[in-house]
Amino acid sequence: MDEGRPIFVQIAEQIENDVISGALPEETQVPSTNEFAAFLRINPATAAKGVNLLVDEGILYKKRGIGMFVAEGAKARVVAKRREKFQTEYVRPLVEEAAKLGISQSQLTEMIRKEDSE
Amino acid sequence: MTTIVQVTGLSKRFGRFTAVDDASFSIEENRIYGLLGRNGAGKTTIMQLLTGQDFPTEGEISVFGNRPAENAAVLQNVCFIKESQRYPDDFTAKHVFEAAPWFFPNWDSEFAARLISDFRLPLKRRIKKLSRGQTSAVGVIVGLASRAPLTFFDEPYLGLDAVARQTFYDRLLEDYAEHPRTVVLSTHLIDEVANLLEHVIVIDDGKIIIDSDADALRGSATTVAGLASAVDGFVAGREVLHRETIGGFASVTVGPLDAAARASAAEQGLELSPVSLQQLIVRTTTGSESEWEDKS
Amino acid sequence: MTAITTGSSIGPTTTLGPSRIVSVLKLQFVNRWTTVWIPLLILGAILVMNIAIWALILANLDASADRAEVQEGFQYSGASGYIFVYMLVVAVQAMNLTFPFALGFGSTRRDYYLGSSLAFVLYSVGYGAILTLLSYLEEWTGGWFLGGRMFTAVYFGNGPWFERLFVFGGGVLFFFMIGVAFGTVYVRWKARGLTAAFVLLAILLVGAAALVSVTNGWEALGAWFAQAQAVGTVAALLIPTALFGIAGFFILRRATPKS
Repeated sequence: MDEGRPIFVQIAEQIENDVISGALPEETQVPSTNEFAAFLRINPATAAKGVNLLVDEGILYKKRGIGMFVAEGAKARVVAKRREKFQTEYVRPLVEEAAKLGISQSQLTEMIRKEDSE
Repeated sequence: MTTIVQVTGLSKRFGRFTAVDDASFSIEENRIYGLLGRNGAGKTTIMQLLTGQDFPTEGEISVFGNRPAENAAVLQNVCFIKESQRYPDDFTAKHVFEAAPWFFPNWDSEFAARLISDFRLPLKRRIKKLSRGQTSAVGVIVGLASRAPLTFFDEPYLGLDAVARQTFYDRLLEDYAEHPRTVVLSTHLIDEVANLLEHVIVIDDGKIIIDSDADALRGSATTVAGLASAVDGFVAGREVLHRETIGGFASVTVGPLDAAARASAAEQGLELSPVSLQQLIVRTTTGSESEWEDKS
Repeated sequence: MTAITTGSSIGPTTTLGPSRIVSVLKLQFVNRWTTVWIPLLILGAILVMNIAIWALILANLDASADRAEVQEGFQYSGASGYIFVYMLVVAVQAMNLTFPFALGFGSTRRDYYLGSSLAFVLYSVGYGAILTLLSYLEEWTGGWFLGGRMFTAVYFGNGPWFERLFVFGGGVLFFFMIGVAFGTVYVRWKARGLTAAFVLLAILLVGAAALVSVTNGWEALGAWFAQAQAVGTVAALLIPTALFGIAGFFILRRATPKS
């Protein structure tokens, strides 16, 4: 839990990570906000904000009387969202840093290839 | 959200000393509030006024729609736990828990029993003979098990060791999730409780200087660090909350930065870091940082 | 918006639950060592001590005439006076210690005062009954088999049971209320207030004595006491008892439980 981004955002991201990795398959139940709150030692309202963020984005949905579930097609949605952000959050810093260090584009591509093969 | 406490123009003076100076704020139901401030800033006085234990010099207080002082119907819904609570001589913890349900309509004795074993509290020993931590535990247990719709904790955990404090926070969160109520925690150990708070009210020298949602407050400041010249150039024209310099380096806390500003800072090689709630509050109040340290 | 928590919120109770006065009353009975057992133990100890003293005195006398004379002197015992004074102390302590506690638990000053006063009335009846019982016991055992008089001294403890009950109970209540009044003075104004109250009381007593002297009323006063006996005196004392009670109520209204 770092102080950087708001806690509820971090919670949402953590759940998204689990959705992508398959730890939380579609139609499985997600821990309740109270469980999140108790486990992370944060205010339940904050946990709820994070969960609600995902509900609004259609990644989770609520089954009345039972709890929160991963929505159908959630994985695809999260992946799409992350792909959009990939460019600004990962690629841009990579390119900028490479430029600072004087690494050319071809050298950069070579490095990427090396990563993949390992 | 329903407002359950409304304070307008509240002042309290003791002779020439002004403990509370024209305070106005409101408290909404079923949230965890932090009432923060240095020692002596006025936190306890405000809570004493809100619970009818002391009388205002000026201003209006409304708790559950009525003035709290001498109002039994209001006060039966309020629980005020303070570290300096005195117990009748020869009372044991058992006596205290025996008497509690007579005053708190929502008292849950099973919950109390679980807490008693959590805190390992000896029931039959006289309170005079208990350690400071054990006496604090008595107060904390009463506050938790009372399930009073409005519960104030005035640094009652000062006597508790770190493990016991964590137990308190955990039980509080657990119970709050199952049985929501309005909780007001006052403390000068902000970082410990920062994640529990939804709303923050900060008092400095009797005046309310911050009254804000906790998340909003966290997002309202950033620290910019790097070479002093670069930093100063970047922060020129911005509201500066705090500045530290070590040799040629500077670390400056400023107001919120938008995406463009953040990008610009990154380009200039300046390091941006978040400001913890404690740092933020310490830097906006008067006095030195040491006044916020754990002196217990 | 999804509900934040699954639990049920506790709304404020708007109706007034069981009377807080009763709650405070019960509070004053929680700790029975200070208010019941210890005073009785000490009373018992004093009785035993007195018995020892009487036995000692009588053991050294042989002539029955001497014994009778000495035994007559026993009836001027003030030993049981202790319990009345102790009650004063108990009341002061009770106010000082249970007040911050009760207020901390959300009681109002009014409920606290009424509940505590009611408790003291009950204690007075209880002690009155115990002392009455002891006075009869004393009679039936012929002065604890030694002709000793502690509970049936010449000033009180004689007459029908309801008179004894009234005298003992009323006397205890009188001292309780003095204690309560001074207790509230201390709670509100601390040591300085207490000193001031003592000074005020002293002035009033001296003033009253002076008044009696000036009007040459000592004889009349003495005659009145002789005629009123214990019952009449205690009945008259009910007035200051009530006054102390009322004064305490108003003094406490603005008191704060500062530690």
